Amino acid sequence: MTPGNLNFIVIDDSKLDCFIAEKIIRNTGRGAVVKSFIMAPEALEYIISTNVPDNNLKTVMLVDIQMPIMNGFEFIEAFEKLPQPIRDNYIIYVLSSSINENDISRVRYHTSVKQFLNKPLTSNTLSTILELID
Amino acid sequence: MEKPERIRVLYIDDEINNLNGFKASFRLDYNVMIASDTADALVMLEKHPDIRVILCDQRMPTQTGVQFFEQIRSQHPLPIRVLITGYTDIESVIDSINKGNIFRYIKKPWTDTDVKSAIEESNKFYIANSLLTLKNEELEKAYLELDKFAYSVTHDMRGPLMSLLGAIDISKNSDDISEIKDTLGMMEKSVQKLDDFIKSIHEYYSLKRGQLQISEINFKEVVADLYDLYSIAGKLEHINFTVNVVQNDLFRSDAVFLKIILNNLVANAFKFQRHDIVGKIVDLNITVHKGNVELIVRDNGIGIKNEYVNDIFKMFFRATSSEIGSGFGLYNVKDALTKLNGEIFVTSTLNEGTTFKVIIPSK
Repeated sequence: MTPGNLNFIVIDDSKLDCFIAEKIIRNTGRGAVVKSFIMAPEALEYIISTNVPDNNLKTVMLVDIQMPIMNGFEFIEAFEKLPQPIRDNYIIYVLSSSINENDISRVRYHTSVKQFLNKPLTSNTLSTILELID
Repeated sequence: MEKPERIRVLYIDDEINNLNGFKASFRLDYNVMIASDTADALVMLEKHPDIRVILCDQRMPTQTGVQFFEQIRSQHPLPIRVLITGYTDIESVIDSINKGNIFRYIKKPWTDTDVKSAIEESNKFYIANSLLTLKNEELEKAYLELDKFAYSVTHDMRGPLMSLLGAIDISKNSDDISEIKDTLGMMEKSVQKLDDFIKSIHEYYSLKRGQLQISEINFKEVVADLYDLYSIAGKLEHINFTVNVVQNDLFRSDAVFLKIILNNLVANAFKFQRHDIVGKIVDLNITVHKGNVELIVRDNGIGIKNEYVNDIFKMFFRATSSEIGSGFGLYNVKDALTKLNGEIFVTSTLNEGTTFKVIIPSK
């Protein structure tokens, strides 16, 4: 069975990091709709307005932690308050350069987060996690 | 009237003659309070938290001195405790000293010299203890700041480095020259960001650790470098940069601190521009007048949301997702201004621009 396509959302206040993530996602050839946001509130709005995506595909979300205005944790907390039918479409990964123990263990408390990933995102890491989704 | 610097001393004894004798002997040297039983003494301790030394007789009808000291130790830990006693009670005194309830003891009948020396020694110990408490508080504050600092360093220094690694990875796997060039352009920005952050750390430490170096300030000279630097950037980015200096009076201050303030404010005015408009401006107006300097930096850039205006001087606060901010610049400005006794005022309208006004008195 060939692995299917997925939607992707990247949330990172660094434009370069969004660019890198998008590039790597496109290189896998599995990105259906790939969106990146440098502000978490805008991503949240997008998720709410999308409701259930037209193409009925799951969405992989890569979320940075340290961002101004709304950080990764605040975003995840807001996301967890959304109705379940919306939440069910998403698989969240935290993608951060943080090596802070608190950040890493705090991620574990959020059941909606599948895994903590270290920056930089590489093709290898992404293929590995995508294999686990299939 | 009592002089405020006299040490406040509390003496407790059930014999009125001793109390009066004590007061008569020491009232000129110390701010003496007396109590004829420990219940009265407790009331006085509650009322006067500035009591530094307590001298207490051992043999009293309701409670011994040792018992009293043991009782008050946890509630009033600061005053230094001195016991007055005869030889017959020596066992209980030794026990009490070993438990840490008593700093000194004076044997009965006391001489003025004994009492004076005990009070002076107690006072020194009191001062050393209070200093230690103060230092501990300072240390705790410094640790908190260090924690915040270390956390941010992983983000602000490791972040750009990880971006670079990611970008290198993409370029290595690409054969498309124009894509590689795009990536290089982004890598350049990332390196500049890291360098800016390192410079801010340098400023932070020169502000924290540095002593003020006061000299005569010629503002035309101070802004010369700044002008050269930013007029080039202005040409490249189509920002009209004007500097206007009016200085007829002498002004004394720290040149390095002033440069940190001006640099950060001007750099911000350049950074937070609206990229899509024609007629971008940054103005710097400097006026020295009646022993004050007024620095006004005005731009017609993105502005600051009302709700964030009060937070912009906090360490690592960023009111925008625009990549260029480190959240360090205005914190350093505020820090420099505190040292120069200066003030800063912000007026800003979102999508119209921001004006910072700084007033610094001459030293």
